[in-house]
Amino acid sequence: MTVISVTLHNEPFNPLALLAGWEASLPGLTGELPAALASFVGRVRGRSTCGAPLAALELEHYPGMTEAQIRRCAHQAGLSHQALALRVAHRVGRAAPGEALVLVAAAADRRGPAQRACSELLETLKHEAPFWKKEWRADGTAIWLQGNTSL
Amino acid sequence: MKLRVRLFGDLRERAGWAERWLDGSSSPTPRQLWAALATDLGDPPTLPGRIRVAVNQQFAEPSTALSDGDEVAFLPPISGG
Repeated sequence: MTVISVTLHNEPFNPLALLAGWEASLPGLTGELPAALASFVGRVRGRSTCGAPLAALELEHYPGMTEAQIRRCAHQAGLSHQALALRVAHRVGRAAPGEALVLVAAAADRRGPAQRACSELLETLKHEAPFWKKEWRADGTAIWLQGNTSL
Repeated sequence: MKLRVRLFGDLRERAGWAERWLDGSSSPTPRQLWAALATDLGDPPTLPGRIRVAVNQQFAEPSTALSDGDEVAFLPPISGG
């Protein structure tokens, strides 16, 4: 049984502080501190998809469904890779370049399951959790992104 | 039959609304509901393959039979993470 924790953030969050807090909580959640931990942090780029300076990235989500879908993705990744615990934090609202967009972390008994669970969860949530990104460019124009960047 | 219809992203902006209760008596599936909404969006009546459907906050087929009170969402291409 994988312990899953998901949070959405309307304001900037510090992914490394969240990661440290989550790791500290793991002995209480899983019975002991897991031997392997893998994590990924994604941040807002300084440039738009067409290379223009980016003023901000707006993230829209579907309250309720987004959280439920992330949990479904995490449940599947945990089952597939025997992860002991999974943590997702995701930004919503308007974010500035450099601010954290997403934290995904996986704890497991060995490095392979931790890395694979983290990677699978990140990729599935990018495609299965309803988020939409709107790029606000420095010249005041804006465009909705149609899908994800390449891996 | 009343349906709670929700739009997101560029669909929401183009329609000019995010959520409405609509009469779905003549639109018993999301595909037929889209055809009725397409005029608001200025889109053709055929549901584009890039638009996904959710019924009661779960992904669903466009041919799903809808019931009174269902929440139907049309979702543009997802770009999370």
